[in-house]
Amino acid sequence: MLTMEGGAETPVVLSGRLDATQAAAAQAYLDRLHGIVTLDCSDLQYLSSAGLGVFLKTHKRLLGAGGRLRLTAVNRHLQDIFSYSGFDQILEIEPGR
Amino acid sequence: MSESASFGRRIDALAEIFAFTTAAFARQGVSGALLVDVDFVLEELFTNIVKYSRGQAPVSIDIVAIPGGVEVTLTEPEADRFDVTEAPPVDITLPAVQRRPGGLGLHLIPRLVDSVQYGYSEGERCSRIVFRKTSASSPGAAGRNGEERC
Repeated sequence: MLTMEGGAETPVVLSGRLDATQAAAAQAYLDRLHGIVTLDCSDLQYLSSAGLGVFLKTHKRLLGAGGRLRLTAVNRHLQDIFSYSGFDQILEIEPGR
Repeated sequence: MSESASFGRRIDALAEIFAFTTAAFARQGVSGALLVDVDFVLEELFTNIVKYSRGQAPVSIDIVAIPGGVEVTLTEPEADRFDVTEAPPVDITLPAVQRRPGGLGLHLIPRLVDSVQYGYSEGERCSRIVFRKTSASSPGAAGRNGEERC
């Protein structure tokens, strides 16, 4: 289960698990946002390649309009996924505690 | 003690798979710290089957505790041969605008577990993927492949 709150003027807070069953809903949520979009990942427990696809598509769309996607409070598991996939080189990622 | 369960080939079966792994880990005393990587690998393998495989029969997952971790076996009947340990490489150095999302899951699997083995039985048209995850993981271990019986 994944919940998403915020956006526009505030960070988007993701809570739960972003897997293949949640990717379409997450994509639809992020598709509404523009500019520099910050994702608060402090309560994001799990991310699969489906979630990576959502982040990549969103980041590319935002880049095309002068914005970008940035992630904060990223846990150890997510850091590993971003590192092994090279996403740590294309996204602004701030580790969590 | 090995635990086994079967799952229909649909994406929303992932919730059942994650419930099964969570319960099996608890019953077998496997460290919960390993669960997230096991779930990741199972999701990537299972969704790959759902998206690309032509078979209809349920896919089974077996979980057994081993010293320091767990061994997981995913068995797919009515399968065509597709060695997940020899998936095409993904260039993770490309800039964002040149990136495509496909293939990342299989690229990540060997980096998250100790070992991955792929086997295929021609006679039974059955594939079997076995992976191990322990607390002493040494990511990047090469896969070992061979003829299997399902």
